[in-house]
Amino acid sequence: MALEKQENRPVAEKGEHIIARHLIEDDNIKEEKNLVIDGVDVSGRWNTFILSRVDSEFDRSFFKEVKETVVGSRINRCWQCGMCTASCTVTPLYRRFNPRAFIYMMQLGNLKEIKKYIDVAWRCVGCYKCSQRCPKQVNPAEMMEALGLLIKKYFPEEVKSKLKVDEDVKKIYDDMIVGHGRLDLAKLHTSAMQKTGRTKELIGKIERDAIFKMAKDGRAFSILRLGKPHNWSSSKEAITGYLKNINTIENGESGV
Amino acid sequence: MAENILVVGGGPAGLNAAVMLAELGVNVSLVERDSFLGGNPKKFKYKFLFPDMQPADNVIGELIKKAETGGNIKVYYSSEISDFKENGKKFDVTIKTADKNELKTFDSVIVSTGFEHFDPARDAKYSYQLFDDVIDIKDLERMMGEDNFVRPSNGQPPKNVAFILCVGSRDRHVGNQYCSRVCCTVSVKQAIELREHFPACEVYIFYMDIRTYGFFEDLYWKAMEEHDVQIVKGRIAEITSGPNNTVVCKGEDTLLRGPFEIPFDMVVLASGMEGGPQSSEISKKLGIGLDEHGFLKPENVTLSPFKSNRDGVFLAGACTGPKAISDSITEGAAAAMNAYTYAVKNK
Ligand SMILES: Cc1cc2nc3c(=O)[nH]c(=O)nc-3n(C[C@H](O)[C@H](O)[C@H](O)COP(=O)(O)OP(=O)(O)OC[C@H]3O[C@@H](n4cnc5c(N)ncnc54)[C@H](O)[C@@H]3O)c2cc1C
Ligand code: SF4
Ligand code: SF4
Ligand code: SF4
Repeated sequence: MALEKQENRPVAEKGEHIIARHLIEDDNIKEEKNLVIDGVDVSGRWNTFILSRVDSEFDRSFFKEVKETVVGSRINRCWQCGMCTASCTVTPLYRRFNPRAFIYMMQLGNLKEIKKYIDVAWRCVGCYKCSQRCPKQVNPAEMMEALGLLIKKYFPEEVKSKLKVDEDVKKIYDDMIVGHGRLDLAKLHTSAMQKTGRTKELIGKIERDAIFKMAKDGRAFSILRLGKPHNWSSSKEAITGYLKNINTIENGESGV
Repeated sequence: MAENILVVGGGPAGLNAAVMLAELGVNVSLVERDSFLGGNPKKFKYKFLFPDMQPADNVIGELIKKAETGGNIKVYYSSEISDFKENGKKFDVTIKTADKNELKTFDSVIVSTGFEHFDPARDAKYSYQLFDDVIDIKDLERMMGEDNFVRPSNGQPPKNVAFILCVGSRDRHVGNQYCSRVCCTVSVKQAIELREHFPACEVYIFYMDIRTYGFFEDLYWKAMEEHDVQIVKGRIAEITSGPNNTVVCKGEDTLLRGPFEIPFDMVVLASGMEGGPQSSEISKKLGIGLDEHGFLKPENVTLSPFKSNRDGVFLAGACTGPKAISDSITEGAAAAMNAYTYAVKNK
């Protein structure tokens, strides 16, 4: 796989001699370290080959696949106005998370592009602000779910290595839902960041600024004040009973 | 005896219909809801018209003068149709004015009740009601018409202005799927006017598509090439308040990929056109069709756009959908021709 190759070979070496090397993506450079053709040694830079950067195909099969899912059924409505991204809660913190662009990649079946965003694609917090704004009622929030499902299907390896929904996460879900009747997004986020080995970012400037902003405008306190839903104890009983019966909680889909 | 024809609505379409009929010797009754003639261009004091920036008075003032002095036209100001009945091939109509009801029999009828500007307050994300410096294109027309273009919040000229297209149009949330056709052209026209009046003021247009169809495209090119108006691709999702008495446009630059929140001194919303309450009222009163967009429905949109589904009742202007003044005037003439033919045939 291309990815493994890339890991074996330090980026700095591959295609090192190419002027404006920064304009070319790693995957697009083919270069064999040791290569002899007809007795001529063409190792390294002598066999460097840059793949065409021109897309030569729109893959409509992907579009059809998304359209057939419940969450992605409105993919044909999107006209790329950008109002979803503009209103998204997550984008200002992570510019690479861009619902409009993701929908476009899905429309054109550009898996190559989608693959670059596996690490951020799951970051949608389900606030539905995008769906509230979208003038075509695409329901971009649910399109993000469709994206998650497709990434899981097409890039299972990458998902496994980049995102792990394991016992710990399951436990967080259990505790939060059963114990408090709601998801604690901050806690989920923190745990997910830890899982992906991005603990540093948690105390990075972006996060610090966000927390400071939330403390300042009162959102942080209103989150703390959020109690349990009304009459939660009876619901809690029912859920615990149900969970006991099936003895498991499905967290696969909702975690992506 | 001369024919009697009723024209409802004294905007560009109705005025031209009335004037043409009067020239044919028809006795015209022109019923206008407002206390003045000229329709929306007069009400909002449009000053210079696209496509050629000629003074609105050349067009609207001219039509009003002809209607008021032409002789055969009886204008009923501040009045409306209170009763409408078929009488054989003719129509018995009660015209209600401020002080009396008048019953008249007409050979045919032209409806030219026009449009209403979309009220941007209905789309809360644009904060039209919240911030003084968020106005719309009809407000700007009026300000220019009154030679009073300044920031409403402080009376100063703005340093930068943003136009936001498709407000109240092409949006399922507000219930209007259609394109209002004129707002792109009005916006580039106004952008040019702003740059001419205030060369120091920067002008940006946030767009998804720019629909300056046909020759209106000339103004779009002119705005960019002669006046350095900058276009930015992305529809604005929200307007909030910013530092130093500014208003912030929140959107995505869909070409560069990424959200922006940019403060402006002033924002102009390109609010669109709607059929308004008058369309459904007149549709009920006269028993003529209303379409799914809330405008009056022609019998056949392509073959007979100037005809209603009711024999003897004709349509003209923006009451059948968004359009420019030239189209409204053309339709006024077409409806006049058809209403006249119908009247002569059935005498
Ligand atoms: C901001 C803005 C700027 C524009 N600038 C231009 C431009 O520069 N050039 C251009 O070509 N076009 C322009 N247009 C388009 C132009 O305004 C319309 O094409 C034109 O006004 C349509 O004319 P009308 O007679 O059909 O309707 P209207 O102008 O709407 O007139 C309808 C008349 O009917 C009356 N009426 C309504 N209901 C009743 C009733 N029940 N009984 C009696 N009377 C009634 C109304 O009071 C009104 O006087 C602009 C539009 C907008 C929104
Ligand atoms: S639902 Fe997801 S994609 Fe939509 S605005 Fe919220 S975080 Fe962004
Ligand atoms: S999903 Fe809706 S808001 Fe987002 S780009 Fe598409 S049409 Fe616009
Ligand atoms: S004319 Fe332009 S601004 Fe108006 S609705 Fe159409 S595209 Fe939008």
